[in-house]
Amino acid sequence: MSVERPTFHESWNRVANLRPRLRSTTQITRANFRGEHWRIVQDSTGARFFRLNNSAYRFVGLLDGNRTVVEAWRLVNDQLGDDAPTQGEVIQLLGQLHTSNLLHADISPDTAAVFRRQRKRTQRELTQRLTNFFYVRIPLVDPNRFLDRWAWLVGWLFTPVGLALWCILLLVGAFHLIGAGQGLIEGAESALAPRNLWLLYVSYAVIKGVHELGHAFACKVFGKRDGDSGGEVHALGIMLLFFMPVPYADASNAWTLRSKWQRIVVGGAGIIVELAIASVAAVIWTRTASDSTLHALAYNAILIAGVSTLFFNGNPLLRYDGYFILSDLLEVPNLAQRSKEQLYYLVKKHIWRAPRLRESAHTPGERIWLPIYAVVSGVYRIFVSVAILFMLATRFLFVGAALAALSIVLWLIIPASKFFHYLATHSEIQRVRTRAVSSTLAFAIIILAAITLIPAPDRAKAEGVVEPARLAVIHAEVPGVLEEMEPTGYIIDSDSSALLRLKDPSLLARVDELRAAVREVEHLRRRAITTDPARALALASRANVLREQLARAETDAASLAINAPFHGVWIAPSSSEIVGKHFARGEVVGIVADLDQLIIRAAATQQIAARLSQAGKSVEVRTAANPGQTIQGAILKIAPAGEDILPSAALGYLGGGAIAVDPNDSTGRRAAQRFFEIRISLPPNTNLLPGQRVTVRFDTPNKPLLAQWTRAIRQLLQRTS
Amino acid sequence: MTQLTLTSYEALARWPAHKPLPKGLDAVWASAQGHLQPFARRRNRFIREAASIIALEENFAKMSSAELASCQDSLRERFRRSRDVRTDLHRAFALVREVAWRERGEKPYLVQVAGALALEAGCVAEMATGEGKTLTATMPAVIAGWRGRGCHLITANDYLAQRDANAMAPIYEACAVTVAAVTTESDTAARRAAYRACVTYLTSKEAAGDHLRDRLALAGVCRLSDALARDLTGAPVATPIQRSLECAIVDEADAVLIDEAVTPLILSASAPNTEETHAYEQAATMARNFERTKHYIVDEAHREVRLTFDGFTLLDSLRRDQTAELSAVFSGARRAEEMLTQALTARELFLPGKQYVVQDNRPVIVDEFTGRLMPDREWRAGQHQAVQAKEDLPISAPKETLARISFQRFFRLYRKLSGMTGTAREGRREFWDIYRMPVVSIPTNKPVARTRRPAKLYVNAPSKRRQIIAAIQTAHERSQPILVGARSVRESDTLSKLLEDRHLPHSVLNAERHAEEASIIARAGAHACITIATNMAGRGTDIKLEDKSRAAGGLFVIATEMHEAARIDRQLFGRAGRQGDPGACQLFASLDDELIQRFGGPFMLLTKTFGEHPPRTLALFALRRAQRRAEKHARRLRKAVLRSDDWLDDSLAFSGRE
Repeated sequence: MSVERPTFHESWNRVANLRPRLRSTTQITRANFRGEHWRIVQDSTGARFFRLNNSAYRFVGLLDGNRTVVEAWRLVNDQLGDDAPTQGEVIQLLGQLHTSNLLHADISPDTAAVFRRQRKRTQRELTQRLTNFFYVRIPLVDPNRFLDRWAWLVGWLFTPVGLALWCILLLVGAFHLIGAGQGLIEGAESALAPRNLWLLYVSYAVIKGVHELGHAFACKVFGKRDGDSGGEVHALGIMLLFFMPVPYADASNAWTLRSKWQRIVVGGAGIIVELAIASVAAVIWTRTASDSTLHALAYNAILIAGVSTLFFNGNPLLRYDGYFILSDLLEVPNLAQRSKEQLYYLVKKHIWRAPRLRESAHTPGERIWLPIYAVVSGVYRIFVSVAILFMLATRFLFVGAALAALSIVLWLIIPASKFFHYLATHSEIQRVRTRAVSSTLAFAIIILAAITLIPAPDRAKAEGVVEPARLAVIHAEVPGVLEEMEPTGYIIDSDSSALLRLKDPSLLARVDELRAAVREVEHLRRRAITTDPARALALASRANVLREQLARAETDAASLAINAPFHGVWIAPSSSEIVGKHFARGEVVGIVADLDQLIIRAAATQQIAARLSQAGKSVEVRTAANPGQTIQGAILKIAPAGEDILPSAALGYLGGGAIAVDPNDSTGRRAAQRFFEIRISLPPNTNLLPGQRVTVRFDTPNKPLLAQWTRAIRQLLQRTS
Repeated sequence: MTQLTLTSYEALARWPAHKPLPKGLDAVWASAQGHLQPFARRRNRFIREAASIIALEENFAKMSSAELASCQDSLRERFRRSRDVRTDLHRAFALVREVAWRERGEKPYLVQVAGALALEAGCVAEMATGEGKTLTATMPAVIAGWRGRGCHLITANDYLAQRDANAMAPIYEACAVTVAAVTTESDTAARRAAYRACVTYLTSKEAAGDHLRDRLALAGVCRLSDALARDLTGAPVATPIQRSLECAIVDEADAVLIDEAVTPLILSASAPNTEETHAYEQAATMARNFERTKHYIVDEAHREVRLTFDGFTLLDSLRRDQTAELSAVFSGARRAEEMLTQALTARELFLPGKQYVVQDNRPVIVDEFTGRLMPDREWRAGQHQAVQAKEDLPISAPKETLARISFQRFFRLYRKLSGMTGTAREGRREFWDIYRMPVVSIPTNKPVARTRRPAKLYVNAPSKRRQIIAAIQTAHERSQPILVGARSVRESDTLSKLLEDRHLPHSVLNAERHAEEASIIARAGAHACITIATNMAGRGTDIKLEDKSRAAGGLFVIATEMHEAARIDRQLFGRAGRQGDPGACQLFASLDDELIQRFGGPFMLLTKTFGEHPPRTLALFALRRAQRRAEKHARRLRKAVLRSDDWLDDSLAFSGRE
């Protein structure tokens, strides 16, 4: 027989004659979700909830401990007709209520089974805790009494008056921050400086603690307003968020709040509190001296309570406040779970065409929202987790590798084997198993083929500096005072005019002196030819010596004026600074560079250099300033051996580049790891400037993704080992 | 002063608990173990041990009765105190052999002793028909009797229970083990006495029924502590009829533990509800307006009927037009759909002569596996009433279930379970997964002289039947006795008509003529005798051959269709060539048989592609595949039932332990 909700159930006899009722300690509250009335049943400790729809509630309401289940069921059937729960649904309902410890039956229960279930539950909780190792929760204290005692103190905050005050506070904070934007950004660098890290962490812990108290108090205050004992908060503890301990509070009792806006306020209480803190901190920050500790603390507070809160806690894709707020806003409780279910449902229905499925979405809106949320949050979570794992693995090989192995087991192998098990055995898809298996197989094959066969762009990048191809350093060939010089940036286009002229009066005087001496000796020699031929001979040789000296001095004098060795641009300190300065012999005055001919000296890591053997000659060059523009270059030469000293400090960490440098080296040019220099020629007339840092993308051949990933992992292991 | 009886103490202190099926990695491990079972080589071990037991024969043969008795006393004492070792078991078995020889003049063969060892080890012993399973079971039963916690020997029917108990009584008595049988006729006192006996012969129905009745009578008291607490307050506590479920040896284990496994045993009471009985008639009338494929779709493979959109529209308009006349049941759309679907299901999927026969103005269910009539069984949730309405029979009141247990759940309650059957190999996986019983194939005492002729495959049933008749005629001319196995009453009638047309004398044994069963079977081995039988001839019946028939080549078994489990086919073929007799068997199948219709999948197209003569290998493959799929389907279904029972146990723990 094939009807959607068969009325009868073969195990009905197991419950038919029981006289159960809800435990006397349970409380029932009303709640609306998407315009439907629901009742939330919770036990007195607030630890267990159960949501009942109208017909289920009507049935449960009839169970008073005197009626039997079958009597109550008949009554509900008379009242509700088609809407009444079927026998199967009643059995399920009773089972679930019992599992939540909300049901009391008139006969002694199977204690062994009760214990078995308890054991199973704790085991499940433990596995959940272990599998979610990025979000480990360790409950420490029960803050309920503390909250009860002090709720009156903060209760007024959750009123329109409180809201107004909060808005004013936020405006004041924002007002202070306007105009201080530049300082705010500059401060970010120093905030991450090592000496601030401790301070930052302490501020973080304190602010998050207050954040959690915000949730707890909000829950308590609204709970008390709803009913006297509502809003229980029984766990305050530490959560290891990506292995960093931060406080947390369990305000899940907010679930029972009647109004969705109250639930939203409870969910957002943390952010509300943090924004208030950020506002106060902004006022303090702008009004304290920039070197005081208070200033630094205030800055930290702005950073944490203002920025990180909005991006982290407010992000609905992670399971934080933002998620719960969104879930309340959309009135979709259990959003993550149900969105996943809805996605599965879509697959089962449209791809596998399984019969008789139950949809998770109840309204047209949910039908759109749920799958979108499932996909977006799923992709986001995978992305964040993989990124963090990679980061951990690069820093701490063993911890990272262990966690990576664990996550592969937990997030890949276990779900995959569960999925196989589902595919192989689940009765839900029994009819369409062939189709389900074949479509899954086809999908897997397509994905596998895509990552193993289809080559994907596999770009290798390196940073480099632009340098002129021809470069002449102009030295003072003779010592002298700079007399005149062409201005820097002067384009040398003729051979004749001097680039600069030095003045050395003593040299000129010496030339004159030598000339005079030559004349004198010459004169004396001529005279001596007749009188004293022997002396004349001696004088002749002396004259030769003097002439040589003169010739040398004259050359020196000529080289006081320096010409450019080739056409190019004259680069020197501004003339006003150095005209009149004395230059020693060999001292650098300036540079003549041929800017029509530029090259790039790129520093590639070993991993990239290794791949260049397969790469083509041409490369793409981009600048940070104008990323849209690419310039085609060509590899001239790859250095055959690794080097330590970077071509420019601009390539190192300290100079803002991407290559790690030896922190003990003050020049900032000694690379922490060996690199390979690659020279790249550029076409003429680019607008690149010498000394500019550019990114070079090599023309590496496309490779399938799988090959790329395995290489990345292999290199990661090589690098860290 | 306690009023609790000793039986109450014993039963409640050892009240059996359901053990849930393993899950997760445990399940993987368990199934891996199951796959490794065939490598355990139990069979060789048991045969070696059996040989050493037979070697003890001389010692016991020499003993006088008194010596035997004193030896037995010391052994019994050891088993009672659970101080026994392996050699004690050997000696005990050797002793029972000797007793059997002295009391009944038969001595268990080597293979029987090996079978007994398998039973004692909690295995399913696969022993061919006629190999003396009854005698085999006495050995482990005596040991269980000595242990003092009772032993249930589950037989196929009341007659066998009574017969075996009587036949084996001398052996048991000589071993100081009391024996009794429980049959349908036994009254409460007799039952109590029978269960107190060391060894009780009974059917699975009686065992499970008494268990359920005990559970109902105890009404929620399911532990000794509960009973004692009640006793203190002076509230009465019923005394259970059964002792605890300690040890069971199941004959025809595959029938009881697999084929019937999910059939629940139900204790029910009539809950008269005149309005509803009226509603079933209305639903049947209404159903006449509905056409197949237009208003509803029939899913043969899953035995389901689903309404189409047109079907729903028609139902709604019918309900609107006849509001006044219709019963209140039809006021709700869901309930109305349910009633109508049931009526349509009754029309399309419950066919007279196949699923039921009409006798004495009421439909009687035909068991699909055994072909026997099940007069006290009813379909559930109103389906029975829907069939009654379809057949225009008086509608019985729907019954209210008081207690219910499926046989697989019931047998899992036994602390020690073992079984015997002729065909267990095919159910190896299931015996292990559900009952944790390895299967041990015990060889036959004499080599099997049965020839299996190659299967014949045809495109459709009529051509298949023609060939079957031709084969019967040829064999008949050789004066060979022939047994034709039909899957349904209808099929047996069709074949019978065809034989009549050819003036071939034959007898038909089916659910409608079950009264003559014994006499038909007695004649079946006679010279040139043709017998057409539904599956019922498969179990617990022994066709003895006349000498003349033996000379003519022994019994020739023809299967007219492949069954949904290869086991059943083999069971039928096992009729031929028993105890070393000659015999032959042959399968005739066609591509429009129900099996391939339901489970053939893409291979149903074979006929369309190849016309009259599909390639034999391909067709055979298609059939075997369909059979495997059917077996798998059934196995999954049974496991799913058990799992859902586990879930219920878990979440309905408040309703007391079952």
